[in-house]
Amino acid sequence: MTIDPGAVARPTGRSYLARRRRTGTLLVLPALAVLALILALPIAASLALSLMDADTADFRFGVFVGLDNYRTLFADPVFALALRNSIYWMVVEVAVVVVVALWFALLLNHPMGRWSVFRIILLVPWALAPVANAVLWKWIYNSSYGILNFLGTATGVLPDPVVWLGDPGLALNALLVAEIWKEIPFITLLLLAGLQNVPRILYRASRLDGAGPWQTFRFVTLPQLRTTILICIVLQSIWALKSFDLVYVLTRGGPANATTMLNFLAYRVSFQFGNLGLGAAVADILFFVMFLLALAYVRVFRPARAAERGVA
Amino acid sequence: MDDRRLVAPRGLTRRSLLKRGAGLGAGALALGAMPPFLAACGSSTPSGPKELKVLTNQPPDPAPPGVADYSEEAFATWQTDNAARVSYESIPYTQIHDKLATAFASGNPPWDIVYMSGWVPEFSKNLATIGDMISAELKSDLPPSSFKTVTWDGKIQGVVFTLSLMTLFYNTEHFEQAGLSEPPKTWDDLLRYTKELTRDGRYGWVNNYGAPEGIGGTANLWMSYLQQAGGTMYDEGGLPIFNDAAGVDAAQFMIDLWDAGTEPGSISYVGIADTTNVFTAGKASMMMNWPFMWKPANDPAASAIAGKIGAAVLPAGAAGTASIDGTDAFTVTTASKSPELATKLIEFYLAPEVQKRQVLDTGWLPIRLSTLEDAEVQAAATNAPIVLEQAKSPYDSFVTPDYIEVTQAIGTELQRCIRKEKSAQQAIKDASDQVASIVTSR
Repeated sequence: MTIDPGAVARPTGRSYLARRRRTGTLLVLPALAVLALILALPIAASLALSLMDADTADFRFGVFVGLDNYRTLFADPVFALALRNSIYWMVVEVAVVVVVALWFALLLNHPMGRWSVFRIILLVPWALAPVANAVLWKWIYNSSYGILNFLGTATGVLPDPVVWLGDPGLALNALLVAEIWKEIPFITLLLLAGLQNVPRILYRASRLDGAGPWQTFRFVTLPQLRTTILICIVLQSIWALKSFDLVYVLTRGGPANATTMLNFLAYRVSFQFGNLGLGAAVADILFFVMFLLALAYVRVFRPARAAERGVA
Repeated sequence: MDDRRLVAPRGLTRRSLLKRGAGLGAGALALGAMPPFLAACGSSTPSGPKELKVLTNQPPDPAPPGVADYSEEAFATWQTDNAARVSYESIPYTQIHDKLATAFASGNPPWDIVYMSGWVPEFSKNLATIGDMISAELKSDLPPSSFKTVTWDGKIQGVVFTLSLMTLFYNTEHFEQAGLSEPPKTWDDLLRYTKELTRDGRYGWVNNYGAPEGIGGTANLWMSYLQQAGGTMYDEGGLPIFNDAAGVDAAQFMIDLWDAGTEPGSISYVGIADTTNVFTAGKASMMMNWPFMWKPANDPAASAIAGKIGAAVLPAGAAGTASIDGTDAFTVTTASKSPELATKLIEFYLAPEVQKRQVLDTGWLPIRLSTLEDAEVQAAATNAPIVLEQAKSPYDSFVTPDYIEVTQAIGTELQRCIRKEKSAQQAIKDASDQVASIVTSR
């Protein structure tokens, strides 16, 4: 008599798997409920608020207005400017932060750059409290007393002191410099971790093949860092869209709305103008953009996880 | 009928009654199970002192006794006499409006008394009417115009506690060096003086044009020029009427003043403190500022120009001099369980002796006319007579429920015309259109 092990195991396995799935679901349910409470509920409340005419003085008596708040926003030139500023801010910040951070990571990964003091120094801007960082830059950019104008005029680089935060184009880029300075350290650490995971054998092989430093970087380092770089781009894009403290402390969105971005606009409309419905609409548009970026982040992660499973 | 009331709480149903009953039962059980010391937290016992919670500024902005260092003994005595315990939440001025907005939106603000700076119309529904509770003696000793910014829909909802009008401050040493013997009296004088004083690496004038909105912002500063030019903001129906010759002249004057020698950083300064620093460092010769500046600017530890400061009424435009009102007031929230006691505390803040110590110890002028006339006060705050003189002319900040939105719109257009992106005429027209849209959608 022969026994088909599959025939015996199949029904038992199926019920076991079903039980296991059911138990797993039950065990996860409390956590899902908590997540729904602290994540989904505010998101849903914010979406609902964006469909209401509600202000801070009369919040509890909001009136349903459908998509009126979104129509108002799309007809508002300040919203259009804030959207443009946010996109410009995100693109430039991500590009500069990732490129500079990659350069720093390469330096820190070099045998001469492995002294731990370098990493500690690198972390200082990131470790500063956001508002303290903003106040620091406010003094750096001050047109009368700022160190930037002092150094610039003392060395002859600047013929006259510059009002860094007084010109629309200059002000946005001045804020960007301060933001980039703050954001570089963390991305550097992420990329450094990625660099340290590149198998040494690939570098030895490339050297044997006669590759120079640029070719090694181009054909070994960059492809190996691809996933890390993509993660950095997506994360940094999300963080860039959330920028608020520098605008609040240094320019309040001015001059003439030149540094107003979506996040600051949402705050201004909600808490300064008291229009919670319209402010929620701005915040929800921002949320939608960030949600798309988060989806991209998940997609970036997926091939890596699949590959890990394949290796395992 | 206010259609917003349509979504007000519905009538009782069996289900809602059961839910409320269950909720109450659970609450009672929870309280019963709670240790007595926890249940007692945050409330006063029937026989203990009543607690009053106050949201106010952090010094150096105007703050009451117990937050700023003055009248502390009198404050302690008042608490004992009234069986009250006053607890303060003092935060920077720039954060107060937003904190109030969120607290009022929650429907449950934790304070009895809150500081206001031009926001009474905006938060009117959340503030108690205290006009009838204020003593006649106090009312008669306050400038009648001081009630304008704390009155909405005919209800007095607060009391201003410091006479805070913008006046002119100037550097007497710079004036002597330029051969100027008296402060400018007219717009033409001011432009001429600004040109003459712009030399030796310093500027004739400095102002904070960086933040367009709110009291003391770009739009608010323009309102002083608007009144000096003979204009006003709104007609009787509340619609904007500043798009006229006076409105344009006021904006053009800001441009002319800029060209004459306004410190270039002025377009980036977002607060009065930024501007004050430039003036007290001797890098600018004139500015308009609130009266509080007199004391710190004459303190050698904080100022490079101590003892070299003059004050004067603001130079006159076509219609004479005029100013704007800082509108620093205390109000009682509708959430207060002790509005009478809260009003009594506000009256204490405005008691003659407290008002006197307020100016002598902190530099913030009193609002009581009798205290302003006090010889000791006038000797210590030599700018007080100037502020009183300024108060004889119009000083309106034109506060409305949408004040921040309105001033944001006007101030942004003014920034554009100061930066020469628009003519004064175009900027005022665009600002007027935006304000009309804001007030009609109110």
